[in-house]
Amino acid sequence: MNKQEEFKDDLLRQYITSERIEKAPEGFTSKVMARVQVDTLPLMVAEKSRKKNLVPYISSVVTILLVASAVLIPGSQSDSLANPVFSLIKNIKFSVPEINLSSVFRLTLPSVLMYVFIGMLILSLFDRALYGIFHREK
Amino acid sequence: MDYKGDIYYIEQIIAGNSNAFSHIVDRHKNKAYNLAFRICGNHEEAEELAQDSFLKAYRSIKSFKMKSSFATWLYRIVYNTTISHVRIKKKGVLSLEDFPADSTDFIGGSTSEEDAEKEYRNALVNFALQKINEEERGLISLYYFEEMSTEEISDVTGISKSNIKVKLFRARQKMLEIIEKVEKNKFIYHE
Repeated sequence: MNKQEEFKDDLLRQYITSERIEKAPEGFTSKVMARVQVDTLPLMVAEKSRKKNLVPYISSVVTILLVASAVLIPGSQSDSLANPVFSLIKNIKFSVPEINLSSVFRLTLPSVLMYVFIGMLILSLFDRALYGIFHREK
Repeated sequence: MDYKGDIYYIEQIIAGNSNAFSHIVDRHKNKAYNLAFRICGNHEEAEELAQDSFLKAYRSIKSFKMKSSFATWLYRIVYNTTISHVRIKKKGVLSLEDFPADSTDFIGGSTSEEDAEKEYRNALVNFALQKINEEERGLISLYYFEEMSTEEISDVTGISKSNIKVKLFRARQKMLEIIEKVEKNKFIYHE
């Protein structure tokens, strides 16, 4: 039975016409969109804060690993499992131009400063990488 | 005019452009609102329910299967939202005396006699709709106002095709009886 046949002798058709549909009130779309914006905002904030909340955990893990490796790597290198890594690090030779400002300031910079600068550079790169991961915008 | 289908905007929404949803709302708002209104019988509630339905659709847009019709999927949300709202908030039964006597009650301002007659018939249908149960209201709405086939109604409501035909037949009979009674009352009132 098709639709036309179903409508045949349908007295209710005299009263109901599809043209007589109730229209949505003025501003309906903007009201829905305002609710959509409100609805999506907490989700976006939650997603961002969920990512941000991971930062302390990652930092803790990195710190624990560093502390553990400092404890596990013994003073004498003979009986440690981390010997190959340790010796590799030990064998890294830095070639940094010697800074001699004595002629200007009549000062001699302690050699440890070179390692401090390199450490700071590595840490800032690490910080930059973490920032890039957790503050990435869509 | 550059016409883009629902699927285009749905893909935009999924890609993160929430503003694309306004095109979807614009396109379907009248039919969604009409369905909600015919089932709940109140303009304020219908607006709230239609808005709720759009919000639900937005939240679960990722679960929409692109192969089926978006309109059918949306109507299913509107139908279920409105039916459950009406079931929770059951209203008192209207008596025949609650209905205005005839079309002259709808004449006012610049309304012509013909328009008043149309308004009267529309009010009569709304009145009769409120006298049948919410499920039947939904079926009548989808069948007569949205002009859906029984197969499409089955997709929206989850009721089998044969059952829809039976329920529609009963709902139609009930509404005609109510309309007849009101019309009879009208003549008694005028005598």
